[in-house]
Amino acid sequence: MVKRFFSQAWLYAKGRQAAFRWEEFLLLDAAYPFVTLIFYCLLASYSFRTRDLGHWVAGNALLLCTNTCVFHLGGAFNGERYFGRLRSIVVSPSSLLGVVLESGFFPMLVSAATVTVGLVLGSLVFGVQLWGVPVGPVLLVILAAMFAASGLGLLLSACSLLGDGMHFLLNVVSYILMICTGAQFPVAQLPLPFQWFSRLLPLTRSIEAMDLLLAGSQAAAVLPLVLGELLVGLGCCGLAAVVIGGAARAAVRNGSLDLF
Amino acid sequence: MKTLRVLGSTLLLQMKQSFVRPMFRFCLIANPILNTILVYEMFRNSGQTDFAAYAILGAGLMGLWGCICFSSAGDLNRERYSGTLSQIFVAPAGFQTILWGKVLGNTLLSLGTLLFSWLTAKLLYGASFPIRSPGYLLLAFLAAVGCFLSVSVLAAWLLTLSRKTTLYMNVIEIPVILICGFVFPAEQLPRWAQILGMVLSPTWAVKLLRMAVAGVPDRAAFWRAFGTLAALTALYLVLIRLLYGEIQKQVRIRATLEVC
Repeated sequence: MVKRFFSQAWLYAKGRQAAFRWEEFLLLDAAYPFVTLIFYCLLASYSFRTRDLGHWVAGNALLLCTNTCVFHLGGAFNGERYFGRLRSIVVSPSSLLGVVLESGFFPMLVSAATVTVGLVLGSLVFGVQLWGVPVGPVLLVILAAMFAASGLGLLLSACSLLGDGMHFLLNVVSYILMICTGAQFPVAQLPLPFQWFSRLLPLTRSIEAMDLLLAGSQAAAVLPLVLGELLVGLGCCGLAAVVIGGAARAAVRNGSLDLF
Repeated sequence: MKTLRVLGSTLLLQMKQSFVRPMFRFCLIANPILNTILVYEMFRNSGQTDFAAYAILGAGLMGLWGCICFSSAGDLNRERYSGTLSQIFVAPAGFQTILWGKVLGNTLLSLGTLLFSWLTAKLLYGASFPIRSPGYLLLAFLAAVGCFLSVSVLAAWLLTLSRKTTLYMNVIEIPVILICGFVFPAEQLPRWAQILGMVLSPTWAVKLLRMAVAGVPDRAAFWRAFGTLAALTALYLVLIRLLYGEIQKQVRIRATLEVC
């Protein structure tokens, strides 16, 4: 089973990259995310009239994982639909959740690297002091953030079994993450119900934890936030396991499996 | 007369086809709303008093550019997937006319992003959007529409040759928004990026719109920017003409028009 998981994951990764040359791969998975990070940091620098961009570099670096965790995992079934494989997957005894994870495994590794490199390069470009920031806790925060965001991606993937509006949904979710997680402006600026909602979202706690680490806090201070983030991820994964099964049954009943 | 009829019917068909696509609805409706909220919140506590123009105009233009990237630039690829690209390529109505009709339909529909952006700022924040030079704004607006039309056709032509349209239309969105100064002045960027922005006509379109909204005390500066925009648009039209001949020849030699 483990061997099958990795061979399928590798097949997905090859299928995704086969059409691209290495420089195009770098353009999409490294250069473009980095330009996005630079854009939002410069916007923050202009709008908040500040040169201390540590918060925005860290927040936007973490947001880079939405490319994979939200768009790739969330759109996994959409891709299968285009390849004409969705019906076979739904009727086969293999786990639907497993299929999404297989398709997202290697992109998630690339994404973890993108977030880390984004954080380091962003810090170099905007003069954020990373010297003295504990590396272990930073990596732990990145992994927790990716786990929670992946949970959200898994949950969203169920929606593509029921309709054809995944591009709309995934893009809206990526903006909600930008607006509600505190990456671009303080969560306190949002109306109270949205502040509560932000606590249910992945990345909110990770961004807070990263801010603490950049401010000189030690691992113990961010541990509750990391645990909270893991809990959000677990909740999303659990919900996804239930919802995907239900969505597949509903898709068979409604005949929406091949809905383009 | 026949050309106008083809242009009109293609324009209407394109508007209907674009609007049924969830991604286009995201770019047209959700993107300007969410961008306005994001940019407005970022500027809200900045201490700047004249930020409404950046928030409303910037978010609207970001939405407009998103529509161009994810629709006009990718429409030929969609025709390719539908198996109709070769038919419209050799149709007696003329491929150029059909392409201009498509881009015109998309661009006219996409102008709605400016309206959605203004409505969001008005309804959510009660923001006012005083226009100091309405006459100049009308002129700037028409010049901007011409500029975005030529850029769209140029992008569509360039992407006709490639089967990696999805990659390129994803990676041109943010860099152009960044370099052309959609939401903050391009003068904030390093000198080399400013020079790069100067050869991109949207930079001048944005400059003209912003000048007209803020008021035009220096008429000579307005007309200089207008002249530059007109010259760049004319240059793009010449490029489109040259590309048309070259691409027609290439797709016939290589037989790659339908290669997905």
